[in-house]
Amino acid sequence: MPNAELLTPGGIQELTAALQRATPSSRLLAGGTDLVRSMHHDHWEPDLLIDLSGVRELDFVRLEDGTLRVGALTTFAMLQADPLVRRHGRCLAEAAAQVGSAQIRNAATVGGNIANASPCADSVTALVALGGDVRTIDGAGRSATRPLARILVGAGRTSLAPDEAITEVSFAALGADQRTTFAKIGSRSTVTVARLSMALVIDYDADARTLSGARVALGAVGEAAFRDPRLEELLEGRPANNESARLFAAGCTDAVRRAIPGRYSLPYKQHAAVGLAYNAWNALGLCDRCEPVWG
Amino acid sequence: MRLLLNVNGMEHELDVRPTARLIDVLRLQLGLTGVKEGCSEGECGACTVIVDDKAVNSCLVLAAQARGKKVLTVEGLAGDDGLDLLQRMFIEHGAVQCGYCTPGMLMSAKALLIVDPHPTEEAIRLALAGNLCRCTGYTTIVAAVRAASEQPAESPSAPPAGEGSAA
Amino acid sequence: MTEDLQYVGRTYPVHDAAQKVTGELVYGSDIHLPGMLYAKLLLSPIPHGMVTNIDSSAAEALPGVVKVFSHLNTPADVYCRARLTPEQELCPADETLFSEHVRFVGDRVAAVVATTQAIAAAAVALIEVEYAELPALLTTEEAQRRDDLPIHPAGNVFFEHEEECGRRAQSADAVVVSSTTTTPRIHHAALEPHVCVVQPHSTGGLTVWSTSQGVYGARTVVADFLGLEYHRVRVIKAPMGGSFGGKTEFILEPVTAYMAQKTRRPVKLLLDREECMIATMCRPATASTIRTTCSPQGLLEDMEVATVLDAGAYASSTSDYAVHMCKKITKLYRLPHYHHRAQAVYTNTPVAGAMRGWGAPEIISALEIHMDRVAGELGMDPVDLRLRNLMHPFEVDPVTAMSIGDGRVRECLERGAAAFDWSARRGRDPGRGRYRRGVGVACGAHKNGMFGKFAEASNMTLKMNEDGTFELGASLHEVGCGIVTVMKVIIAEVLGVSPDLVAAGEADTSSTPFDYGTFGSRVTYVVGACAKATAEKLKEEIVTAAADLLHEPRERLTVEGGEVHVQDDGQRGVAFKDIARLSHMRHSPAITASVTYYATSNPASYSVQFAEVEVDCATGLVAVTDFLAVGDVGQAINRGMVHAQFQGAVQMGIGYALYEHMDVDEAGRSGIDGFKNYHVVNAPDMPDIQVLLVEHSGDDGPFGAKSVGEIATVPTAAAVINAVNHALGTSLSDLPATPEKILAALHPEEVGG
Repeated sequence: MPNAELLTPGGIQELTAALQRATPSSRLLAGGTDLVRSMHHDHWEPDLLIDLSGVRELDFVRLEDGTLRVGALTTFAMLQADPLVRRHGRCLAEAAAQVGSAQIRNAATVGGNIANASPCADSVTALVALGGDVRTIDGAGRSATRPLARILVGAGRTSLAPDEAITEVSFAALGADQRTTFAKIGSRSTVTVARLSMALVIDYDADARTLSGARVALGAVGEAAFRDPRLEELLEGRPANNESARLFAAGCTDAVRRAIPGRYSLPYKQHAAVGLAYNAWNALGLCDRCEPVWG
Repeated sequence: MRLLLNVNGMEHELDVRPTARLIDVLRLQLGLTGVKEGCSEGECGACTVIVDDKAVNSCLVLAAQARGKKVLTVEGLAGDDGLDLLQRMFIEHGAVQCGYCTPGMLMSAKALLIVDPHPTEEAIRLALAGNLCRCTGYTTIVAAVRAASEQPAESPSAPPAGEGSAA
Repeated sequence: MTEDLQYVGRTYPVHDAAQKVTGELVYGSDIHLPGMLYAKLLLSPIPHGMVTNIDSSAAEALPGVVKVFSHLNTPADVYCRARLTPEQELCPADETLFSEHVRFVGDRVAAVVATTQAIAAAAVALIEVEYAELPALLTTEEAQRRDDLPIHPAGNVFFEHEEECGRRAQSADAVVVSSTTTTPRIHHAALEPHVCVVQPHSTGGLTVWSTSQGVYGARTVVADFLGLEYHRVRVIKAPMGGSFGGKTEFILEPVTAYMAQKTRRPVKLLLDREECMIATMCRPATASTIRTTCSPQGLLEDMEVATVLDAGAYASSTSDYAVHMCKKITKLYRLPHYHHRAQAVYTNTPVAGAMRGWGAPEIISALEIHMDRVAGELGMDPVDLRLRNLMHPFEVDPVTAMSIGDGRVRECLERGAAAFDWSARRGRDPGRGRYRRGVGVACGAHKNGMFGKFAEASNMTLKMNEDGTFELGASLHEVGCGIVTVMKVIIAEVLGVSPDLVAAGEADTSSTPFDYGTFGSRVTYVVGACAKATAEKLKEEIVTAAADLLHEPRERLTVEGGEVHVQDDGQRGVAFKDIARLSHMRHSPAITASVTYYATSNPASYSVQFAEVEVDCATGLVAVTDFLAVGDVGQAINRGMVHAQFQGAVQMGIGYALYEHMDVDEAGRSGIDGFKNYHVVNAPDMPDIQVLLVEHSGDDGPFGAKSVGEIATVPTAAAVINAVNHALGTSLSDLPATPEKILAALHPEEVGG
């Protein structure tokens, strides 16, 4: 079995030089939690393995001109704890906190999570709600920025070229009037792949106690996390009360039905969507805690 | 390829395949069989080691990625003056049965206590969420970590309290 | 509890804890021998078919590959992986080293032996195999129906067993309740994967490092298969990282031994987690239908049970398992009439075999879920119904015709119900909100060893070293539950010395006397009793030597604190450590005693367990919020370990109730290939288990002790399911109660399938 050639660029310049040599059989190594497992389990190696861990320029969290910029090598452990992320993009910190175990969070990176493009990726759901833009660099040293939704083209598939590396993901920093949260339903409470996930960003008028500008992303119910406009419209102008919560939950069930018709998991997920919706709603702290009521 | 690794305070110059996993280098080339392989996919935590003070699954890390970092395995816990406090508490509190999860548990617990020297029970359980045990039901393990955290730091390897919490 | 005990009943760490916390202990999977080769298996990707062609030329050409094995170049002799002794019954021989006729996804088709694990794995990927597929029977229903498609020549329903006792008589106003419970195929999930290392010798023999639970059985199977005399096959019990029955049977030993013999090199066969899950063995999936007749006041009159057990592709120990499933209910409840029919059925699915409890968790889950159904029909409290029918101490189990011994299940239930505040909690309305709490109870019974089946015995030798320390020669098989420590403590108690002065190792067929191994809940009760008897005999020998030294008759001598004293004369005595030095001209320096101990009873062990759960009715997720395990253990030998065994056993039972299952799809594939999709309960989801021990020491185990490790997990799942059903007002009986099933039960009108 031919050995992969390992390149360990020490900075952006060396990275682009390495990327120049990349072929479709090449791979970029960030935290390794997906790639190393896959190589070992499936007994394969890429022709070229570019280890990004030496490119420390990719490890940062910065607030610049109202934009929160997160380097691709930022681990979930860092995201979970970072004060800027917690203040200006809290749903991402919450999503990061729920990725795997402590060991996984110490190694896995947000760039790797995006590139792996799992339909269940927790941070992706949060970034879709936050309106994330992904910046890349290629073998010619060219930078490009595109919306996250355009990077994710299918389950496990991205539009990234073989010589393209994610350098950062950014989004408009949330303001004081915006509430946000991330919620996830797995098959148990911790260390579980999402069966349903949701990230919510919403503008809240504290005086009028009304909601607007909702951005609702749903994950694990499609090839990639997506925003549901119907669900978002449902909340437009609504008061922050129990009735809205109930409508929202029903809307989530409807959204799941529209997303995965005929899928084996639909009977479960359409109902569990109610739990997901209430968990998210209650976490936003808009009104007193409320729960679904069955007849 | 040539790789310089710092493991348990010692420098090693090794010849490794580029895609060698850290667990394989530790177990097979350095003979550190205290690092256990239970699942090969980062779910059971038996292979947990500490790299630059953070717990990671050595089955998911390439050895090459540990270059320039400090790797600590279970074999590096005890010192010349005896067992580490955590190790002693594990023994005293009956946290060891078949022992296969024990090295990984110790490393996850050690990493927790580095950043959170006095963790709550919930924080302990969360820190151990990625370490599976089929023998103990976790109660004695949590008690052992609790006991280690309630004693003043005496091991020379215990750094001052860091900020933040692992929870 | 027995009289004043000095060592028994206290808490000790396992004997090798220090080696485990330092990573020093070499487990089977850590063994490395000079010149050792690594083996990797090629497993069938189809559930049923014939191998029509194997092209291993590319694999053989890979540098580092020593040999490729398959049915083409290995004997076709059949054997039974569960055979312990040559004369044993219920050992259908239906397995070969490598299958030409593959019978499940995971069946062994070939193996590569190479200089490194990575090369072996790469070579396996290069072997090209062609199959002619046959129709696969993936459920017991299918297999029962299609006897025109026998998976083995014996036919698909290859074993049936029936027990009946008492007379059927139904009162006029009798109530009849029926229910069916299904339990899943599950994985033992011992943290250490399966492994075997074999070293061949030019003298014509082999050394086998086995992580099995019975080295003599491994020797039987390996030696018989290879046609070697038993004294040429040495089997050493290697330290193992858990088993729970998954390593009872000799799955890897025959093939590893064969490959080592043929390559004339040491060979290590170490499986990965996926292979452990599908290609070793699992707990059998079962379905039991119970039909009970009882009076309106809740007195059981008649119980009819029909059990079908899914044996998977090879019989392994499932015949014996099916028999034992018929022998639990009458240890627990008084039944004027009991009739149980059990069938073991082949299917083209992963091989089923022994798992902790040996059929008790499977049948008790069905029984105790059923009993709650009966209680519901009668409007009776579940505890009251059970109290009305549970066995009393020393009653006779009509199926085995043996006394249950000092069986304290009633006391366990009464004391447990009080400690758990059962009435108040059961009386609380779970409500109709999102989060609903419920409580459940279940009683379990299990045996203590195999007396009644065949000569249940153990052999040990205990010697006192020249310095007054002790060494035990016994075929102990430590599986992680601290049995080596148990033996040391028992011996220590008899001799009046600290357990630290007693050394005990594990089994080695070349040097430790015969013992069956660690299974069947025989270790504390039978092996422990042997240790006690051996220590007592050694004590006699020590006294004899001391009598000679002190010139006193034996009757005037007492043993205490590591010394032999003359009664009423504090000045005169001799310490153990001096006996050898002082008597070397007249006695052997090492004083030794050997005992063969025969068990003469087989009482029941009991556990009653109480669970409180909180169900999130929006997501179907269940949290176990409180749990009490009560154990009728006779006498705890290592108290802390007894508690910890219950805690671990409950973790296994909660998983059985809520999370764990290995179903196969239409292609016969498990879809479960690792812990990512096979959830064993992790630390955040595990409640603190309260443990209450009932210790009456009324049986003839050592110091009255009874076995603990298996009974501890027997009623757990039923207690959890019963709690869930109480919380939701449902009648779930299809384990595990996953979120899907819970939501389907809550929304029956909306869910199609």
